[in-house]
Amino acid sequence: MNNKKWAGLVLAGLMVMGLLSGCGSSKETLNIYSWADNFDEEVLEQFEQEFDVKINYDVFANNEDLLAKIKAGGGGYDLIQPSDYMVATMIKQDLLAPLDMNNIPNFANVSEAYKDPSYDPGNKYSIVYTSGVTGIAYNKKYVKDEIDSWEDLWNPEYKGKVILLDDNREVIGMALKKAGHSNSSTDEAEVTAAVEDLKNLLPSVLAFDTDNIKQKMIQEEGWIATVWSGDASYIAQDNPDVAYVVPKEGGTIWSDNYAIPKDSKHKELAEKFINFMLDPEVSAKNYESIGYSDPNTKATEFHSEEYRNDKMINLSEDELSRTEWLGDVGDKLQLYDRFWTELKSGRE
Amino acid sequence: MKKSGLSMLPVILWLCLFLVVPMLIVVGISFMGRDELGNVVLDFNLDAYALFFDPLYLGIYWDTIVLSVLTTALCLLLSYPLAYYIANAGPRMQTWGLVLITVPFWINFLIRTYAWVLLLRTQGIVNELLLGIGLINEPLQMLYTKGAVLLGMVYTFIPFMVLPIYVALEQMDKKLLEAASDLGATRWRSFWHITLPQTKSGIMTGSVLVYVSTTGMFVVTDILGGAKSAMISNIIQSQFLGARNWPFGSALSVIFVITSLILIALFNRAMTSRYQKVREVRS
Amino acid sequence: MKTKSHPLLGIHSVVMMIFIYVPILFIVAYSFNSSRLAADWSGFTFDWYVSLFDNRHVMEALANSLTVAIVSTVISTVLGTLAALAMRKIGRRLKSGMGGLLYLPIIIPDIIMGLSLLVLFNQLNMPLGKMTIIIAHITFSLSYVYVVVSTRLSGMGGQLEEAAQDLGASSWQTFRHVTLPQIAPGIISGALIAFTLSLDDFMVSFFVSGPNSTTLPIYIYGQVKRGISPEINALCTILILVTVTLIFLAQFALNRGKGQKKQSVLPF
Repeated sequence: MNNKKWAGLVLAGLMVMGLLSGCGSSKETLNIYSWADNFDEEVLEQFEQEFDVKINYDVFANNEDLLAKIKAGGGGYDLIQPSDYMVATMIKQDLLAPLDMNNIPNFANVSEAYKDPSYDPGNKYSIVYTSGVTGIAYNKKYVKDEIDSWEDLWNPEYKGKVILLDDNREVIGMALKKAGHSNSSTDEAEVTAAVEDLKNLLPSVLAFDTDNIKQKMIQEEGWIATVWSGDASYIAQDNPDVAYVVPKEGGTIWSDNYAIPKDSKHKELAEKFINFMLDPEVSAKNYESIGYSDPNTKATEFHSEEYRNDKMINLSEDELSRTEWLGDVGDKLQLYDRFWTELKSGRE
Repeated sequence: MKKSGLSMLPVILWLCLFLVVPMLIVVGISFMGRDELGNVVLDFNLDAYALFFDPLYLGIYWDTIVLSVLTTALCLLLSYPLAYYIANAGPRMQTWGLVLITVPFWINFLIRTYAWVLLLRTQGIVNELLLGIGLINEPLQMLYTKGAVLLGMVYTFIPFMVLPIYVALEQMDKKLLEAASDLGATRWRSFWHITLPQTKSGIMTGSVLVYVSTTGMFVVTDILGGAKSAMISNIIQSQFLGARNWPFGSALSVIFVITSLILIALFNRAMTSRYQKVREVRS
Repeated sequence: MKTKSHPLLGIHSVVMMIFIYVPILFIVAYSFNSSRLAADWSGFTFDWYVSLFDNRHVMEALANSLTVAIVSTVISTVLGTLAALAMRKIGRRLKSGMGGLLYLPIIIPDIIMGLSLLVLFNQLNMPLGKMTIIIAHITFSLSYVYVVVSTRLSGMGGQLEEAAQDLGASSWQTFRHVTLPQIAPGIISGALIAFTLSLDDFMVSFFVSGPNSTTLPIYIYGQVKRGISPEINALCTILILVTVTLIFLAQFALNRGKGQKKQSVLPF
């Protein structure tokens, strides 16, 4: 290869880069930043056609990644889907734009149970997308006793077969609930006692896992686990031996939400999108496809028999009454993190 | 030849802009404080560095180093003979050898690691096989152990060891080996005194790449180890994400980078002096 | 000359290949599994291959990943090789400093690199997208190329180059006909590592990506919460098949063109 060819190669490379950064269509775009596969594809296409816009759908894997990215200025997104506690954090850090409810008349369709949540009083910045409750999933083949309490995880018979969510707030919150405290306690003595209790549970733990807990329960690697209600429904479909219960001490309720980042350039379009998704027929189609719980009360009549009868997707009033949102623990987060590191590394 | 020195310029400029400047930001943050929300605030202090000397974090760093050294040693033992075989094969076999070793690693890392989960689980194929032959009576719990983590690490970083060693072996002066064998040296002796010293740059490069990559890896411990142990990179990760303590995360990173550089320099010196000794003996 | 390898070496290599390929066979097998969760075997199906081509998100992510990997590999290979060559010509002091600098991108934890570059790009007002991902990938890849090419250079004496220059070759001619052929295996190996790293990088890409620049690893990590779709297994299977076939065809064409003389696609 001679000089010119090298130069040509470099030039070609630069041109490709130039092209890559410069391309784009003239249509208005809605940049969605969410979990992967979180919407029904056909519903998204329907929105693109009805409003003559293009949707860019990019994905993140967890709330902390989302926060770090938005906080460091990773902008350009018009609609994000943080979970409950993350909405609270983002509001505090002034990262969200207030919603203009005039553009979202369908907000009226949202179940009262999810309106005015503690993490965003008055729904100023967010609207619920889906929610669930952390409870216990267990395999009836191996677990013969009746399960109704977090205490049951400590049963020595299940040694080496217990799976816990890989999340410090969920696990420490669970131990706090077991002791009858709030899952977001900021009382150092309460949290310390809960962690001491968890240390006794450690020898029973097969693994900490959030994402693949489904596979582990389906394949019967674990017998008993802390699991989100939606995942429990997923597991039960593949392995009918698995049952789910919200323990008597109560569980943690969580939600994923619609929110708009402060620097969004298409705020109105994002609001129209939220409104579109809250349309009863559209939302029935969407949740039917993704299999999460639908907070839209007007959509019930459009849902299938099977969906309506799924007890793990549609939790009872009684079960919901025992739940608590994770609250912001402020600077005690450092304490939680340190305890978590101790638990996982087996060191002090 | 003066021109060649100039060819360094684009690299220097590139690294200054996209590496040195961002790193200075990180070093800066490591000396700062944070507010309740996790925002970095201008408040010069050494708290973040002091926190590292907490036995909890020192212990985790020690665990990380032990695992990384083990991974590196195993990778070296497994990869050297493989690289040797490929380097001594015909030119076509060499191409195929390299391609066959690299291509599997173009498959996404997560997918590859989950494949190991399927293989190692209690009802997985490895257990079924062992049960079938009658070697064991009861399925082994292989997943979510330290051994599974080690296996996953070795598997992930094999190409990082094979390729540099291959590059060094392929260029070796084979006449020396012929001469040695003419002089009656055994295979083992000529390997020990000729091949090994001549390929030390490959061993060095491969070891550094594997060691450093292992210390920086955290997903393997989560998936194959059941997230039951923490590596230093898990801690760094969680300081920037869950715990929102950027100064501590930055301080950990600075300490991590400096200790790695020192270890590499020490290793480099050790390798060089061994090589020189061998050379003196030869001459 | 030929050094006959010990038979044990051959056996070891076969065992290693099995070790490397057993998980891959699993991935291929599960691309035909009808269950969505990679749990138990529940029947043979081609569905994932069909739905793969309908899934525009996967296809876009694949296109993004390949573009980023190819462009960043080319540029980082050139830069890394230049750096390795130049390191031979500079003074000792500068050399050890530069050596450390060139090792940095390998050592720095991914999350630090991603976040700090994100902060930098924001300060420079650069819109996030494929361009910024490419820049980030070049930054870490060039070090790997540098390290591998240096390995090759360190085993190479300067005598041949000196001889060429004494015979009146220009420095370009010397480089082209003496140095380059000698370091080619190092360059190719370095490029292979760079390509592999770029194709597999999640953490750095995640932070410096913007709207419409989701790469394959970002997409796959995002899917983890719901369970990675077997479509991804199907995609991996196709990728491997295509790569191996292309190399095989190239090898075949080259050998045909050159007549009897056996040649290798890769220049060594």
